[in-house]
Amino acid sequence: MILKIAWRNIWRSKVRSFIVLTSIAIGIWAGLLIIGFSFGMNNERTAAAIGSTLGHSQVHSEAFLEEPTSAATIGDAEVVAALQDSLLSAPYVTGVSVRGVMMGMVSAPKSARGARMIAVDPESERENSTLPSTIIEGDFFESKTRNSVVIGAQLAEKLGVGLRKKVVLTFQDGEGNISRASFRITGIYRTLNSTWDELNIYIKRSDLKKTIGKDLVHELMVRYDETEGTEEKTAELAQMLPQGLHILSWKRNSPELGYADDMMGIMLVLVLGIIMMALLFGIVNNMLMAILERRRELGMLMAVGMNKRKLFVMILVETLMLGFVGGPIGIILGDLSTRVMMGIGIDLTSKKEGLANLGVQSVIYPEIVPEYYIIVAIMVVLTALIAALYPAFKALKLNPVQAIRGE
Amino acid sequence: MSKPVIKVKDLHKVYDGAVPVKAVNGIDLTITEGEFTALKGPSGCGKTTLLNMLGGLDAPTSGAIEVGGVDITKLSQNELIDFRLRNIGFVFQAYNLIPVLSATENVSFIMLLQNRSKEEREQRARQLLQSVGLTGKEDKRPGQLSGGQQQRVAVARALASKPQFVLADEPTANLDSESTANLLDIMLKLNKEEGMTFVFATHDDRVISKARRVVAVSDGKIVSDTTK
Repeated sequence: MILKIAWRNIWRSKVRSFIVLTSIAIGIWAGLLIIGFSFGMNNERTAAAIGSTLGHSQVHSEAFLEEPTSAATIGDAEVVAALQDSLLSAPYVTGVSVRGVMMGMVSAPKSARGARMIAVDPESERENSTLPSTIIEGDFFESKTRNSVVIGAQLAEKLGVGLRKKVVLTFQDGEGNISRASFRITGIYRTLNSTWDELNIYIKRSDLKKTIGKDLVHELMVRYDETEGTEEKTAELAQMLPQGLHILSWKRNSPELGYADDMMGIMLVLVLGIIMMALLFGIVNNMLMAILERRRELGMLMAVGMNKRKLFVMILVETLMLGFVGGPIGIILGDLSTRVMMGIGIDLTSKKEGLANLGVQSVIYPEIVPEYYIIVAIMVVLTALIAALYPAFKALKLNPVQAIRGE
Repeated sequence: MSKPVIKVKDLHKVYDGAVPVKAVNGIDLTITEGEFTALKGPSGCGKTTLLNMLGGLDAPTSGAIEVGGVDITKLSQNELIDFRLRNIGFVFQAYNLIPVLSATENVSFIMLLQNRSKEEREQRARQLLQSVGLTGKEDKRPGQLSGGQQQRVAVARALASKPQFVLADEPTANLDSESTANLLDIMLKLNKEEGMTFVFATHDDRVISKARRVVAVSDGKIVSDTTK
């Protein structure tokens, strides 16, 4: 009967209850939409970074991690091949790309800039990364042209060069000697990360070998079957590596991306917390009003023998019921809106450049994150519980005689 | 001889304030089983304060109140709440029914607090509503009943817990003559047939004329005690 009373009491003041229930539903709806939007944006950014540049993890030598010089290689061809085989033997490893990474300078007739040269096997990159699909002009080493280079759109713009133009790359070889070679731009790429595009230049490993007379391997980019469980998989692979070599997950290779991922979780809980805080005051206000209006009735209940525990539970149940009604409405609305948005996307073309700097596309597709539905549901129940406490204690302090008189 | 249900000895109630008010000033009173007693007096004479203290709703400043042999002034708040639930029925001036519950539910709610079974609650609630002349109105909510009918539901509710006695504070103050007459007839019938003890605080002559014992209170003291 307590449940029946609680349910009917909610509808005693229809307008007030409707306002509170609507605010709970809208709060949760907005929260879920923000969660979906944030996850969509972040996951897209992470997936793009993993797919085009980082891979799920990367193997480097300890020396390279301390200072990324040309001399800090993983090892000779035999070591690299053995390592590649070893990594590929793990069931979740779908590909390994071998890369040489050197800091240097790129010079064009009008300008020169610092750059990072990444020497790749085009075929392997095509298999293991999405970088070739980001080509906006030319191609990703399709032709057999010697000394061809693929550069980022931002860098090409800064250097004032375009397709088929020549640039001179200057870098150190494995012995610390300065090498210089002329390359022709055969492709221009544009990833979602404009900072990456401004710094990184892709060349073929075969061209590097011909230029400096030696094959330098500084990095193995490893791809997993799925991003889920990256840390665990990376930790497992670390056991296979010989001494002096380290494997780091994308989160640790690109800390800013990892921080963004971690921060997003904290931010979302904070956003939900703020929404719940607003709801909390709304619910407290509603329940205080309800108790003020019903003090005669509560006084009567206390007079006829309703003990404090039962009175407390009655108000608690009534408050929880507000959450139990408003919560599911908000969750359903949030879920439906996210599903609709997943189909059409949220167009932020007006903020395209800013988003590109963050490594995000201008149309964002929200994602459904089921575990957050549970978090939201728990937070709603907790909010309703906390909101019930003050009004319930207030009710317990009523003096039955005065309350019955309406004082 | 009937056994005493309530025994009050040298009861005092002083309300503190800038000028302390002696609402009850040395009352001795015994109510025996089966009485139909009216405490009469003008507003502010102390009859409602006395009634509240008899019901354990207000604590006396000094004195003793024995209900069924238990000195309720010695009980803790929680014990008092439980004591009220099991021993005392209340009828209030403004009915104070729960508006979201039907007549049956209002009556059976008290029995729910006593942890009685659903079947017993429903059966007794219908029986009580029948005895106060509300057959056919069992499923009506208070808002769908007249003032007189609501007060009859309140009487049924007061009896639901099988109390030792019923305290009624100005039960007819909001009722017209016909409803008052009906309500008093019902309460007299319950008093005669079931031996239920009723104590009223009232200044309504219609109630006073029906009461078998009239205790007049003035300035917090009993000034006359008449049994017809």
